[in-house]
Amino acid sequence: MKKLPSICPACQSQLNIKKLSCQKCSTEIEGLFELPALAKLSGEDQEFVVQFVECSGSLKEMARLQKLSYPTVRNRLDGIIERIKPVENQE
Amino acid sequence: MKPLKGKVMTNIELNSNRQNRTLAQWLFNPFQFIAGGSALLLGLTVMLASAYLGSLSNSHFDGVLDLHIGKAAPLWIFLAEVVIDWLCISIVLLIAALFVSRSSFRVVDVFGTQALARAPYLLSVLVLMPKGFIRFTKYLVSKMTQQAPVEAIKNTDVLFFAAGVIVAILMIVWMIALIYRAYTVSCNTKGGKAIGSFIAALIIAEILSKIAILTMLQLAL
Repeated sequence: MKKLPSICPACQSQLNIKKLSCQKCSTEIEGLFELPALAKLSGEDQEFVVQFVECSGSLKEMARLQKLSYPTVRNRLDGIIERIKPVENQE
Repeated sequence: MKPLKGKVMTNIELNSNRQNRTLAQWLFNPFQFIAGGSALLLGLTVMLASAYLGSLSNSHFDGVLDLHIGKAAPLWIFLAEVVIDWLCISIVLLIAALFVSRSSFRVVDVFGTQALARAPYLLSVLVLMPKGFIRFTKYLVSKMTQQAPVEAIKNTDVLFFAAGVIVAILMIVWMIALIYRAYTVSCNTKGGKAIGSFIAALIIAEILSKIAILTMLQLAL
């Protein structure tokens, strides 16, 4: 299955969902649905968030697994928080 | 869709991280990979080694960015100089970060990365050790003070001196780059604020370290 894009490749604007479908019974729902806040992050950021949750929110554990220093991992998390805050405020 | 397996993702991430690690990253931003207690331990070891080697050639670390051939002194003076330099730059940058950084940061990261950032001085001390460099430095000092040279210089001494000066300048540039990187990584500072606060902190730390070392020397010698 393809990865869900969040940014328009033509004009770089935020994309919304127009159509949803059930793979089992082929039911389709049309409308204008907003992407959830986490889905608006880049693929790399989403991967980071998943790993962060898998590490039980331990930055030390993240740093150990990725062989990066603790402040590097913490700075990356701070960057994601900075990017996600305006999205949350819009909602 | 199957859930993402943690172990598989971790291995992929590890491999990509290893591939992305270039020599330039290790040379100019090792703090991506090492910080905190391990950087502090490694940095202190390098600092103490620099002080010991400096004592052998009377190379004094008389300021955050200074390295000069000077008078003979007990080993503890050289050790105290490197510690004062390190404490001055670390404390001043820590205070600067409190005003500039929007993130929380650990004190051990600031002190650890700043200790490791002083590693280029170990190489500087090594190039200042040859007797040719020291002889030519003494010769220049005697010329400037219009005194008779204590020791005759050899033809090759000027080469040692020129090479030593070039390497020392390169090491200072490298060290400033490392101190800046250590500051941005450990305190999560970015952009113009990071550059401005860094320049101000470096000047303040240089002045403070000079005053502290001069005071120490006046009291001790």
